[in-house]
Amino acid sequence: MSNRKAATARRRLFAVTRYHAIGLFISLLFIAPIAWSALVSFKPSSEAARPPLPPWPVEGFSTQSYENLAKYGVGIWTYAGNSLTVAAATVVVTVIISLLAGYGFSRFNFPLKNLLFVLIISTVMIPFQSILTPLFLILTKLGLQNTLPGIVLIYVTLHLPFSIFMMRNAFDAVPKEIEDAARVDGASVLLMLRRVMLPLVLPGVATVAIFAFLASWNEFLAALILLTDQKKYTLPVMMAAVRSGQFGSIDWGAVQSGVMLMMAPCLALFLLLQGYYIRGLTAGAVK
Amino acid sequence: MSAQHSQAPDKATIELKGVRKSFGSVDVIHDLDLKIAGGEFIVFVGPSGCGKSTLLRMIAGLEEVTDGDILIAGRDVTDLDPAKRGIAMVFQSYALYPHMSVRENLAFGLEIARTSAAEIKRQVEAAAEILKIGPLLDRRPGQLSGGQRQRVAIGRAIVRKPLVFLFDEPLSNLDAELRVSMRVEIARLHRELGNTMIYVTHDQTEAMTLADRIVVLRDGRIEQVGSPREVYENPANLFVAGFIGSPRMNIIDGICLAANRLSIAGTEIELDRPLPAAPQEAIKLGIRPEHWLITDKQADALPAQVEFAEYLGSTQYVHCRLANGELVTIEQRGGTDAKPGERLWLNCHQAALKIFSMSGEARRRVPAPIE
Ligand SMILES: Nc1ncnc2c1ncn2[C@@H]1O[C@H](COP(=O)(O)OP(=O)(O)O)[C@@H](O)[C@H]1O
Ligand SMILES: [Mg+2]
Repeated sequence: MSNRKAATARRRLFAVTRYHAIGLFISLLFIAPIAWSALVSFKPSSEAARPPLPPWPVEGFSTQSYENLAKYGVGIWTYAGNSLTVAAATVVVTVIISLLAGYGFSRFNFPLKNLLFVLIISTVMIPFQSILTPLFLILTKLGLQNTLPGIVLIYVTLHLPFSIFMMRNAFDAVPKEIEDAARVDGASVLLMLRRVMLPLVLPGVATVAIFAFLASWNEFLAALILLTDQKKYTLPVMMAAVRSGQFGSIDWGAVQSGVMLMMAPCLALFLLLQGYYIRGLTAGAVK
Repeated sequence: MSAQHSQAPDKATIELKGVRKSFGSVDVIHDLDLKIAGGEFIVFVGPSGCGKSTLLRMIAGLEEVTDGDILIAGRDVTDLDPAKRGIAMVFQSYALYPHMSVRENLAFGLEIARTSAAEIKRQVEAAAEILKIGPLLDRRPGQLSGGQRQRVAIGRAIVRKPLVFLFDEPLSNLDAELRVSMRVEIARLHRELGNTMIYVTHDQTEAMTLADRIVVLRDGRIEQVGSPREVYENPANLFVAGFIGSPRMNIIDGICLAANRLSIAGTEIELDRPLPAAPQEAIKLGIRPEHWLITDKQADALPAQVEFAEYLGSTQYVHCRLANGELVTIEQRGGTDAKPGERLWLNCHQAALKIFSMSGEARRRVPAPIE
């Protein structure tokens, strides 16, 4: 009797241990490169330039790499500010447009609605590198080349198909009768959208916002081509410049500290909104 | 505004004049006229897809009217917003705002109408009192049972102090037991508030028990308007006869032989009053299950064979096949169990026999001769 109980307990202990061991191993696999970057970023510049073993600083902790990075070009805060402005503006504009468009596609009937929707979605299939030249020419015509609003326009255009698709699904999941109830309660269209619909599609909005933020924060190619003035660089373009080095020497410590700097907002945003984000992606999956 | 929201609302009449509705090229409501008296409880019944909800939503202002006029309390509201019509609506899916507490759900409409906070609090609590949802006020709809959600939805309608309540199948998502108690509750609400109410359902029991008058709809047309008793006892046509009443009225073919002689399923029957039909005319006869009598007297009776019987406790439904193969249902109270295959004789209450022309309209019968 007690023997069998002990065997069961042992088996359960083994299962739990194995479960956690595998989980731990996979987590380590994912955390390792981040940890490596973090550790290298705290080495003194001279040590960071040497072969990277052991990965942790042996000559003492130093914030020298961060100081070097901060002094780079016209100053790190200009670049971070540019990046933040571009990402935030992209998020705001994308969310507003996709909210309204998603609502329209979900609720109104108009001629060629489905064709229009498919047309918008199908632009995802066009590799954007292939239209970079025309985009550049259009922005030049508009006098927006080498400006942050210009790059924001391009990012918004790139994110809209996915975002509209997301928001349409989010609105589709809200029963029409809730809207009717709000109309009977006397809500105008805008009030109804703001007080009743927006809270209900918030998971969708969070998903759209995260995607728009991450993609525009990390985007490199369009920014590299469209932004020529060093003062307008976003972080990825600046990082490329840091990495290519000055006078043939590359400051690896500065590169790693840049990686840390760029990663921080992405991690923070994701951790902040992950609950919404997961609900947004699975919206409508279970009804 | 103030008149509309006064404590004891005037009982509002409703008038539909030549109302039509089409979705694109599909006509859903055809040229419909209806007058509803103030304080009346009107029930729209009809099969699924006949346009009940559409008609109700047109009255609510949620659906545009293609043609015709809608008057509420004598005022033409055809082009008015739902909120300005003095109506409140209870939806089938409850349609509560999921992200708001019950209190916020009830207060939302008042808030939009810029009612003072103290007044909102008073009205919300008054409604909660009527519906006994006081303890639920701080919960979210997701934390409530179906019956509680429906109460909240009704509460949200009450706080608007509407002239007219509109219900669209409000009980169809509830289980059978809850449906009965909510039905009683809605009847009580009508007694207490006295408002004009329009109630859409496909459930006959709800229609019969709640209605002052029933409006039977089919394919966007009114088939009959009348009190539950009128609609049940004097259906205007075969559709109403078949639709109202459960189990359904038995409809069987007959031929009028002479003024008061009739042939049904090969048997000749002598009637106690003249038939409203010409000699040799084919007619349809309607007999409700409770109007059959099982007899052993063979004169003026139809031979039948039992197919199967359903025992329901207080009654028994006996399904029989007549000589010509038509299936009829008989409601029997008491008596012995009918066994499949058993042969029996059927007689009917002649006063309850309904006569329809082959095209379906009811023919009025002259009353029985006074003996
Ligand atoms: N928005 C709409 N667009 C097109 N057809 C509709 C729409 N709403 C309802 N209908 C059609 O109108 C008819 C009546 O619908 P409805 O009023 O919902 O019926 P009921 O409530 O009696 O079941 C149905 O045939 C339905 O398909
Ligand atoms: Mg309906």
